[in-house]
Amino acid sequence: MTDLDTRIPVTVLTGYLGAGKTTLLNRILTEPHGRRYAVIVNEFGEIGIDSDLIVDADEEVFEMNNGCICCTVRGDLIRIIEGLMKRRDKFDAIIIETTGLADPAPVAQTFFVDDDVSARSVLDAIVTVVDARHLGLRLADSHEAEEQIAFADVILLNKTDLVSPQELEEVRQRIRKINGQARVHETVRCEVPLAEVLERRAFDLDRILEIEPDFLGEDDHEHDDTITSVSVRSEAPLDPERFNTWLRKLVAVQGVDILRLKGIIAFNNDPDRFVVQGVHMLLDGDSQQPWKADEARLSRLVFIGRNLDQAALAEGFMACAA
Amino acid sequence: MSDVIEQVPLVFTHGKRLAPGAPVSAVVWLQDEAAFALGDGSVRFATLQGERARVDAHGGAILSAARHPDGAAVLTGGDDGRVLRVGVDATITELGAFGRDWVGSIVASARSKLFVAAAGTTATVWLTGAVRPSHAYTFPSTVGGIALDAKGLRLAVSHYGGAALLYPRAAASSRVALKWAGSHLACTLSPDCGYLVTATQELGLHGWRLPIGADMAMSGYRAKTRSFSWDRRAKWLATSGDARVILWPFDGKTGPMGRKPHLTGARGALVTMVAFHPVEDVLAVGYADGAVVLARIDDDHFVFVDEPGSAGISALAWNDAGTMLAWGDEDGGAGLLDMRVRA
Repeated sequence: MTDLDTRIPVTVLTGYLGAGKTTLLNRILTEPHGRRYAVIVNEFGEIGIDSDLIVDADEEVFEMNNGCICCTVRGDLIRIIEGLMKRRDKFDAIIIETTGLADPAPVAQTFFVDDDVSARSVLDAIVTVVDARHLGLRLADSHEAEEQIAFADVILLNKTDLVSPQELEEVRQRIRKINGQARVHETVRCEVPLAEVLERRAFDLDRILEIEPDFLGEDDHEHDDTITSVSVRSEAPLDPERFNTWLRKLVAVQGVDILRLKGIIAFNNDPDRFVVQGVHMLLDGDSQQPWKADEARLSRLVFIGRNLDQAALAEGFMACAA
Repeated sequence: MSDVIEQVPLVFTHGKRLAPGAPVSAVVWLQDEAAFALGDGSVRFATLQGERARVDAHGGAILSAARHPDGAAVLTGGDDGRVLRVGVDATITELGAFGRDWVGSIVASARSKLFVAAAGTTATVWLTGAVRPSHAYTFPSTVGGIALDAKGLRLAVSHYGGAALLYPRAAASSRVALKWAGSHLACTLSPDCGYLVTATQELGLHGWRLPIGADMAMSGYRAKTRSFSWDRRAKWLATSGDARVILWPFDGKTGPMGRKPHLTGARGALVTMVAFHPVEDVLAVGYADGAVVLARIDDDHFVFVDEPGSAGISALAWNDAGTMLAWGDEDGGAGLLDMRVRA
């Protein structure tokens, strides 16, 4: 894919009420970075946001009538993104703020399911703001808090000044256990260089290659409702047909449990890195930049979800070798 | 894709290209003048001589437009939540304001003199001559589309989970609830109100035969259907959303049930807009590659009105007499065709 991607990057901002989403949003909108953002908010009017292009979202979650049980989309986003394109010259990127209780899956799936949305815009990153003080409580009383961490590409572990070093370490561990793949920034009042949060696409995909497999010492696998991450790799190039068949079958059977998957794959007949992404049963992939001459052609795939069997996933992945 | 165009597109010999410069949401004819409703919030009135007047109407983008029942103005709905009457004399009158809800669709009837606008979860009605909303109906989810029958006496409203049929003149109208899973977007009523057809999020159409509500599914599309057009005898419903115009037969007792559609206008590009000529068996077709053609129903012949450009056709309309055609695209291009001087 050498064509310039002219699709509008979309950043999704999630996090529990009070974690610091609005602080981050206001920083994005007021700091001089020369980029203009259209902002899709949920609690319009309750927060003072300074932007010319603010759109109110209803968070209408629609089930697709296509037999796919976990396939839900945000109907309002489909409508809003299409409408915003009539003012395409007024902004460079889109930020979607979700309510504290929002499940990120329908937001992410909207970018996989709707062809009109994916032709015009691209999900750049899901950014989750976490309150260091209250994470434990949130994880205990809502599964949304856990899913918001699981779905994140970037996590702001915020309000670190309000906890002790020991408490902070505990929170770090909990986040890593749920999502071993996201880039975590520890912040006070969401103070992080915005380049670490916005328009991250290329950087965060490259990061998949850096992740060490078995970072959790996966042997203590638990069959319960806890969300974990599993990473698999192969040094042998893969056969595209075998890989596609395996992955399709896998998400058809285990898609309900797989919240997100991301990978960079080296195919035996493709000079380009093949980038694959998934949400539940939905998959999307394409060939992107070529492998560099001196680069190890290592295939990596990361899963975040429930009931993930590291050994079975690794075995299935390895069996796709050409 | 490369069309070999041996024919000079009609716009160069019998028409006029325009460059309004903002995405065209809708085009409405007011006698011999076309009113283009644009993404920059303005309405441009144009004839074959070119743009006559620009009226800056909305704070944001215009999302929807229809001809006012009085025939001397265009009704516009914007993402600024307002419904405006924009007269050919450049006057602007605010008829309604819906706060932060977008006014996504407007339909009007010259016969019943009423018009209806959809904003958020409500469909609001203005009765004859009203300059304020007369009454409104609320639905459980955002309105996907609205449509009137030929007499302007029945209103269809599509939404998540189905559609509803109402009598828009009555504030306390009865409602026929038509249920079908999924999200229903644009919709159309057959002129005699015998059928309601909706475009679905999953692609394809869902239809209800009225009044009993027998269900029909019409599939085979590769994109959402955004444009519907009934021919003058209401025998055919032309639809966008595929690489051909898909025409469903609605004659006979059960319409398209168990029958195959008719296909025309195949030239490789996705069909985005369709508009039947009001008095002849000719169909104007707009494509995602920016081309506009006149197609016949009975054979595969078509003539180019405008050649492929950069952006998809997003608006297409004949004037009442069928002597003029107007179109606009997503990139701010537009054009007019004069059929009166056709050789």
